Amino acid sequence: MFHYAYRRLTSKLLVLFLIVISSTIALAQPNGEAIFKANCTACHVTGEDVVVGPGLKNVHKKYKEEWLLKWIRNSQSLIKTGDAQAVKIYEQYNKVAMPAFNLSDDEIKSVIAYIKAESEAAPAAPAGGGDGAATAGAGVEEEDNFPLVLAMVLVILIALFVILNRVQKGLQRIINQREGIAEPVKLEGKAGVKQWIRANKKLIAVIVIIGFVWGSVEGWNALSGIGIQQGYAPDQPIKFSHKLHVGQNKIDCRYCHSGAEKSKNAGIPSPNVCMNCHKYVKKGPQYGTEEISKIYAAIGWDVDKQQYTGKTKPIEWVRIHNLPDLAYFNHAQHVKVGGVECQTCHGPVEEMETMQQFSPLTMGWCIQCHRESQVKTENNGYYTELHEKMKKQYGDDVKLTVEKLGGTECARCHY
Amino acid sequence: MEKRYWKGVEELNNDPEFVRLRDNEFFEHLPLDEALQKRADSDSSTSRRDFLKFVGFSVAAASLAACDAPVKKAIPYVVKPEEVTLGIPNYYASTYANGSDYCSILVKTREGRPIKIEGNELSTVTKGGTNARVQASVLSLYDSARLQQPMANKKRSDWASVDAAIAAGLAQQAAAGKKIVLVTDSLYSPSAKKAVADFSAKYPTAKHVVYDAVSYHGMIKGNEMSFGKATLPSYHFDKAEVIVSFSADFLQSWVSPIEFARQYGETRKLRNGKRTLSKHYQFESMLSLSGANADQRHKLKPSQQAAAVASLYNKVAALAGGTAVNVAATPLDKVLDTVAKELVAAKGKSVVVSASNDPNEQVLINAINHLCGNYGNTIDLDRACNLKSSNDTAVAEWLTDMNAGNVGAVIFWNTNPVYTMGGSKALETGLTKVALKVSFADREDETASLCDYICPDHHYLESWGDAEPYKGHYSLMQPTIRPLFNTRQAAESIMKWAGAAQADYYTYVQDYWRANIYPMQSGISSFEAFWNQSLRDGVFAASFVIGGASAFNGDVAAAAAALPKPGSGVEVVLYEKAGLSNGADANNPWLQELPDPITKICWDNYFAVLPAFAEKMGWRQGNVIEVKAGNAVVKGPVLLQPAVADETIAVAVGYGRTKAGKAGNNVGFNAYPFVSISGGAMKYYATGANVAKTVDDDYKLAGTQTHHTMMGREIVKETSLAAWLKDPQSGNHPELLDSPYGKKKPSELDLWATESQPAFERPNHSWGMGIDLNSCIGCGACVVACNAENNVPVVGKDEIGRAREMHWIRIDRYYTSDTTKQNAADKGLGKLDMYAEMEVPAADNPQVMFQPVMCQHCNHAPCETVCPVAATTHSSDGLNMMAYNRCVGTRYCANNCPYKVRRYNWFKYSDNEQFPYNMQDSLGKMVLNPDVTVRSRGVMEKCSMCVQRIQYGRLEAKKEGRRPKDGEIKTACAQGCPTNAIVFGDFNDPNSEINALFKDQRSYHLLESINTKPSVFYQTKVWNREESAAAEKHHA
Repeated sequence: MFHYAYRRLTSKLLVLFLIVISSTIALAQPNGEAIFKANCTACHVTGEDVVVGPGLKNVHKKYKEEWLLKWIRNSQSLIKTGDAQAVKIYEQYNKVAMPAFNLSDDEIKSVIAYIKAESEAAPAAPAGGGDGAATAGAGVEEEDNFPLVLAMVLVILIALFVILNRVQKGLQRIINQREGIAEPVKLEGKAGVKQWIRANKKLIAVIVIIGFVWGSVEGWNALSGIGIQQGYAPDQPIKFSHKLHVGQNKIDCRYCHSGAEKSKNAGIPSPNVCMNCHKYVKKGPQYGTEEISKIYAAIGWDVDKQQYTGKTKPIEWVRIHNLPDLAYFNHAQHVKVGGVECQTCHGPVEEMETMQQFSPLTMGWCIQCHRESQVKTENNGYYTELHEKMKKQYGDDVKLTVEKLGGTECARCHY
Repeated sequence: MEKRYWKGVEELNNDPEFVRLRDNEFFEHLPLDEALQKRADSDSSTSRRDFLKFVGFSVAAASLAACDAPVKKAIPYVVKPEEVTLGIPNYYASTYANGSDYCSILVKTREGRPIKIEGNELSTVTKGGTNARVQASVLSLYDSARLQQPMANKKRSDWASVDAAIAAGLAQQAAAGKKIVLVTDSLYSPSAKKAVADFSAKYPTAKHVVYDAVSYHGMIKGNEMSFGKATLPSYHFDKAEVIVSFSADFLQSWVSPIEFARQYGETRKLRNGKRTLSKHYQFESMLSLSGANADQRHKLKPSQQAAAVASLYNKVAALAGGTAVNVAATPLDKVLDTVAKELVAAKGKSVVVSASNDPNEQVLINAINHLCGNYGNTIDLDRACNLKSSNDTAVAEWLTDMNAGNVGAVIFWNTNPVYTMGGSKALETGLTKVALKVSFADREDETASLCDYICPDHHYLESWGDAEPYKGHYSLMQPTIRPLFNTRQAAESIMKWAGAAQADYYTYVQDYWRANIYPMQSGISSFEAFWNQSLRDGVFAASFVIGGASAFNGDVAAAAAALPKPGSGVEVVLYEKAGLSNGADANNPWLQELPDPITKICWDNYFAVLPAFAEKMGWRQGNVIEVKAGNAVVKGPVLLQPAVADETIAVAVGYGRTKAGKAGNNVGFNAYPFVSISGGAMKYYATGANVAKTVDDDYKLAGTQTHHTMMGREIVKETSLAAWLKDPQSGNHPELLDSPYGKKKPSELDLWATESQPAFERPNHSWGMGIDLNSCIGCGACVVACNAENNVPVVGKDEIGRAREMHWIRIDRYYTSDTTKQNAADKGLGKLDMYAEMEVPAADNPQVMFQPVMCQHCNHAPCETVCPVAATTHSSDGLNMMAYNRCVGTRYCANNCPYKVRRYNWFKYSDNEQFPYNMQDSLGKMVLNPDVTVRSRGVMEKCSMCVQRIQYGRLEAKKEGRRPKDGEIKTACAQGCPTNAIVFGDFNDPNSEINALFKDQRSYHLLESINTKPSVFYQTKVWNREESAAAEKHHA
């Protein structure tokens, strides 16, 4: 049985591996999809929906390729030439200028080819996504099913174990009867315990194994519980893309994480902050309305009637940065007073499609930074006098690190 | 010859078996074959290979399962309230008006959850002070014993059906002409009073009876008899130069203790050029907190007090021109002569008060105050005090009415007479004759459990409301959290039953303020603005002209004639403790674990008796005695308490609850049965008691202090005012140590560093704390404030008994001893005998001194050097830090701490059934301060000088680009202190208050000679009395 399970497991892993490899290879080719996703998705989808600009389904049929090349390379200059088609589109979409793209003809053609392929592929497919995403999704599903399969195998195994055991015991009894061997006498006290242990070695082995498994899992969880999980990038209930919002739309971090300058918590924005924009931006370039509609569901926004229903359901984000309770960390101290960029600790968030833990969040990492970083004394009355004093004591070029002001002392973070 | 050794007797005998086996590797038979045989036979088929397979599989399974680590959720608000910023506390002004105290407060909330109470400095009454009960009240909000919905006949119900049933019942009783009695404690909320008036208007047979467990009927009646005004006056202890109190514990329980403590503290400070102290005389039978702070304290038996008051009146009258009354000579006449002289000399600047509930005695007290010209100066009848409006006559009438079957319905609001009347038969039988019984109790308490309907009231932190503690002084109560349960404000219930038009009580209060209070001012032109301003400030004081002195027209002679005659035999006197007070908050573990300021006992009440009296009776501490007085028969343990009057037993009320909740049930015994009614007023002492030792096993009392004297050491330094005026360093001359360089101050001898070359620098801040022992009254507000701020666990009586209390701040209480190093030689005592004698507090009437002790944050800390893992280290701003996660629990630090302020977590106190207090359920945990770690088992902890508050204050300053303002950062103890005895600040700030205090010549460090260089300093206690000449000589 176990061999069989192993084989299944191996074959599954192999399939997964192949999927991952093939998609990587596919992405590695300079193709239209990559260019499209990097440059166009902020405003366009390959379907029919209007995001900022029009949906691009069948755009290759609507316009000639030469015109498209001109338009994509620099739409504004095309409009200035008075091209009727260009002016019409410009006016149709509220005179939002499409930026110029420094792409070669081949690249633009590959984008058009990609749109063509998308337009012709499964008309019922949801807007956005595409083959790559669909494959990845399937892969994820496969992986999600795995524990279930494992559990089923386990149940079958246990059932088999019990049945075989009973059969064996029955047969043994029959043999014993035939050969005239008496049933073993049940002993009392210590000897009884020993007897029981001898008779139930399998059970004990199973318990030991389960204990071992349980111990390993707990140990692992304890580590992740105190934030030792660099690179942790769990799936979130809403596929919120920092890459899109920060990287492409250039929204300031503190627009959503408004606590960062005031409080120890930067805060996860409540859906009403999302609604500031998403009351108007109803479709995303990647997932269309699917993900945005989750915001609406959370805050209770009826899209058709354009009003709040009052039925709310909080979004249960998966926490990524888990500092243990014994460590005190204050965002305001670092962001407002220290002038530390968010990216210093959180990494290139503007490039993260899925948010992940960038820094190790270990004490050594904190301390190292405190040893090296200089206190931002300029324009802060708190430090003025102190800085002067230190300059007098240690010379004008004193490097006033956080450590020098007690930034590595226990009670700054632990109390 | 070769020596030969045999392996055994078998070899010697050439045993054939031995010969056969001797060449084998193992001589003895090894059961290998059997074992192998057995394995083959056995039904076990687990081979080594199988085992490895299992292990391999389990590793694979573990790593797979581990990929799916438990997911932590982060769930933001759906719509974040604008005023909430996660991690930043919000403060709301409100009013604590729960039972016995009034306090204007600020409620600290975090993410919409009240976690700490602080004093409101805008209040003209309490001026930012708090006490232990106010500090602890936030925990009562999260009490799991609270009812979660209305109850009808012991079954869960809902508001609509309860309202309907009660309305029908009330209408029926009113129609039948039966009385509807509303029994409340003293009600001083104007809106609630209006609701009661509305209720009375709707039901004409309704009657409002004010019943206070500890009654002030005598004072109110006395004022009516003296001035025609049935009210309490306001007192200004701050303006008094001479304070005379007859058993009134105005610092702990009497009328308005927070307000009085603040006023009193002002008169005891020697700061900012003030060089005078008030002179405080206390006459009492038990040792109260006020008595402990008095310059002169005199003992008398409870029944002797009336005569002493009359005698004082005569002496004052003789000096100030009044008519004398008939009174027998008392043993205190000589003292009273001096008191009278001082009173008359300080005309208009003295206060005489008495806690007696006898109207006649109060008339005499009023007469004394009148003769001393105190009305209009230190006592103000026009600024009437509404805090107490007890009416014992009405209570007696209600009991009679009930028994006569005239009462159809009774509604209990903030009262629990079944408990506080101590099993009164009249109440018990009377209640059975009442058809409709309703209680507003928040739990099924002793009274509520006998009621048909319980309509649970909100906690005050969930309520709207107002208060008028003094005429013209208003205070608003606002909810700081949504009601946790399906409860409803009592006032709203009354309002609803009265058929008010308003939808809720909030509107009702607002309407009242719009109609009655808004017109009292003219500065703000819209009601909304006025309301918002009052709500923000929490208080509103109307300006009105203070009337002059009131005309005294009491009949002194008649009053004196009606005074009770001194009794004989053993007497019992009742008092309220700092923690539990009248017992309403008995289920609050913080209060239960607050050591009594005087006895230092937690979790119990007891019969406190003078050691000499106990010896005479053959009692030892812990013996269980039975006391019979009047109808009361009560059993309880004996506590030896110096300074109690002879043949007097002092016992605290508020204990012995049976239906308070897990923490409060069956703690101590109920002393209310000793209350009797005499001359229409409750009497809080009993005479002619029969006492007998029982055969019960000794009872164990758990206290936090077992050593009661300073044993000749200068721990609390003291001097007298006269000596201090001559020499500002009096009582505080530094101890000089012998050294190779001659006599030197300890600070000049240093192993590590010198003053000019300090061991380390404190470039930025240097935090420190100063404690003025002159204004510290020992009340314990700081202890509870610290509990709330720092998540200090409650450990229970058993652990306290093992000296494992966890309080980060303790208040040491010392008695003087009759034996001193000076007089030991005269007594012919050797060294050992001398120390043994010095351990015994003065038998008769020792002086009492209080000293709050927390971590001293030594700059040469003995604890830091012995920690093997550097878990406790020193910071560059003068704090002794404690990193819990580094601590391995060797407890070396605690052993090396000369101040014994370190606390060890012997257990995990949270989520541990063994400690069934607030840290066990999710409700009780809501009170925890999210900025402070909840410590686990096996680590040391101690005062952190509220480092989380320092961090917060510093960051606020940094964010605004400025230095922290002096006084901006306050530790919890300093914030909660009613007398401002604790000052926290930065020594590096040249203009800070703490620097000014430290420069004062009264400042000293605790145990200076061991040169630990603490960041905490104390200031010499200065008594306003002559007799410390001996002590003075000693210090010189």
